[in-house]
Amino acid sequence: MNSPDAPPPNPLAARGEREPSASETGEKPRARTAGRVSLRGIVKRHGSFTALHGVDLDIEPGEFFALLGPSGSGKTTTLRIIAGLEPHDAGRVLLDGDDVTAREPGERDVAMVFQSYALYPHMSVFDNIAFPLRMVGAPRDDIARAVRDAAAKVRIDHLLERRPGQLSGGQQQRCALARAIVRKPRLFLLDEPLSNLDAKLRLETRVELRKLQRALGVTAVYVTHDQEEAMTIADRLAIFMEGRIVQVGRPQEIFARPASALVAAFIGSPPMNLLPAEVRGGALHVAGITLPIERPLGGDGAVTLGVRPAALRIGTSGLPACVELVEHMGDTTIVDLDVAGTPMKLRTDQAPAVREGDEVRVSFAAAAMHLFERDGGARRDP
Amino acid sequence: MPRRVRTLILVALAALLLAVWAFPVLWALLTSFKTERDVLAYPPTLIFEPTLRNYRDVLFGSASLLPNLASSIIVAGVSTLATLLLAIPAAYALARLEFPGRRVSGFYILATQMLPPVGLIIPYYLVLQKAGALDTYWGLIVIYLTFSLPFAIWLMVSYFEDVPREMEEAALLDRAGRVRALWYVILPQVRGGIAVTTIFVFLNAWNEFLFAVVLGGNRVRPVTVAMFNFISVEQTLWAKLAAGAMLAMAPVILLGLLAQRHIVKGLTVGAVKGARR
Repeated sequence: MNSPDAPPPNPLAARGEREPSASETGEKPRARTAGRVSLRGIVKRHGSFTALHGVDLDIEPGEFFALLGPSGSGKTTTLRIIAGLEPHDAGRVLLDGDDVTAREPGERDVAMVFQSYALYPHMSVFDNIAFPLRMVGAPRDDIARAVRDAAAKVRIDHLLERRPGQLSGGQQQRCALARAIVRKPRLFLLDEPLSNLDAKLRLETRVELRKLQRALGVTAVYVTHDQEEAMTIADRLAIFMEGRIVQVGRPQEIFARPASALVAAFIGSPPMNLLPAEVRGGALHVAGITLPIERPLGGDGAVTLGVRPAALRIGTSGLPACVELVEHMGDTTIVDLDVAGTPMKLRTDQAPAVREGDEVRVSFAAAAMHLFERDGGARRDP
Repeated sequence: MPRRVRTLILVALAALLLAVWAFPVLWALLTSFKTERDVLAYPPTLIFEPTLRNYRDVLFGSASLLPNLASSIIVAGVSTLATLLLAIPAAYALARLEFPGRRVSGFYILATQMLPPVGLIIPYYLVLQKAGALDTYWGLIVIYLTFSLPFAIWLMVSYFEDVPREMEEAALLDRAGRVRALWYVILPQVRGGIAVTTIFVFLNAWNEFLFAVVLGGNRVRPVTVAMFNFISVEQTLWAKLAAGAMLAMAPVILLGLLAQRHIVKGLTVGAVKGARR
């Protein structure tokens, strides 16, 4: 994505001490030229445990890129390696083509918002935001102006005299954001920045964060374990599983074509239903019956059949199922089913005419069907 | 049991404990205003004509304690300063940096505290004698460092560990570098710990007697040792001794009052995870 809005004037760009090209060409260039992140074969070990098995990744300038995965999958470690906070055992980190692997965190021109915000509790909000500028010896007047600018962007300019301890969680989060944007870094790193906010505030802040990033045109790398958050906020995302990136793509692509059964089970709410099945003689055998499928299924073998909850229909033909629970959630309803011992979920906008204990049949369109190899879980492309 | 009764019992207990603890101090305070004759009166008198003569004698008399107070201030002050200068970076390193043998060195630092001072005194004497450092300020200060430093490091490490690691990482990303991150971000947050450490180390050095009496001499004679002059084979000058004790205690009590808040917090550091100091 490229910012449709012009980035706001940069009071500090004129100093141009770290990026002369940006200062020469004026206001716009960052969005298109700066902030490319490339990881090449990053390996991280903790003793005998390997946290990252050779991660390769390319993030384009101006992108809002999410690193998504369950906890312990290596996404935060990857972010910290980009920041330079975590030493790694092999591989290279490139920022805008420069190998920064050996550079200190402060030499990489990246800003980070921590999950805990990591505000300096003994300093006022103003001093917190001013800190990164003071560390590079910016002139006093420039600092004051830049701090007010940054604070205004996140709407905490009326709180500058307070200490972090006197702010609400949401305000602290904004303060951390302001401290990150004040020095116009080429890269934002966000480590689960919304996880300490309550649900309502999280939704609001998510939108604001996205707008802010667009307005600034800065590349953002965003770590989260919340797939819904990642799907809604990111231009592209990488899915981490057990120290490996298992899929990279735009949210719609990943949703439409999960690369493996594991990804399929992780994405969507509720996630995709997975059933053991078998392809034999060009037909699909599931739960003791043979489904006529009007599309190529690939060679014979054991497979996992995946169907999104919203793609399932209750009808007179299809797989036999027992209704276990009907959850009404306002505009949608989730029906919990048991299909030959495998739990499945069905999601529908219309109130279904079924009750708990009913024996029904569920079907789905052939196009809505995903097939994965039983062994290894890789996607089986028709 | 009604709450009121329970409170009453607790207050009474506290008062009793305080009385037991404070009695010798109060007795010495009274004694310091008595003449030597009144001190020896039997039964002891509570009503007497107070005199400041003892204080005049121990301050300005022939056996003035002023040089010894100065001696104490030098020994305690310099060893405290040196302790802090070395302990703060050491504790920071132990709390934060990854280096080989970190855990082990942490243990050995604490282990030095387990040796009884009496067992050390002869080796220390021999070492200082060989080094020509008996009865010198630097000799005594170095010896004081051997026990104040491990103690201070051990105390400070817990304070540094309480500072969230992310806060320092934020400072590093903000281009502070390690040294400025330590100075601007970490140290302000451990100032309570620095205050507590300063007080404990200073008081330890100020109150120290055993090493001072053995390793000191005529030049280096802290007030704890000098007061011994009032006790001789022929007689004990109780009133002067008491006046000297009051003088020696004054800075300790003053410091204690000033830092009371920090000390109480220091004793409970780490008791509640994430508690704000």
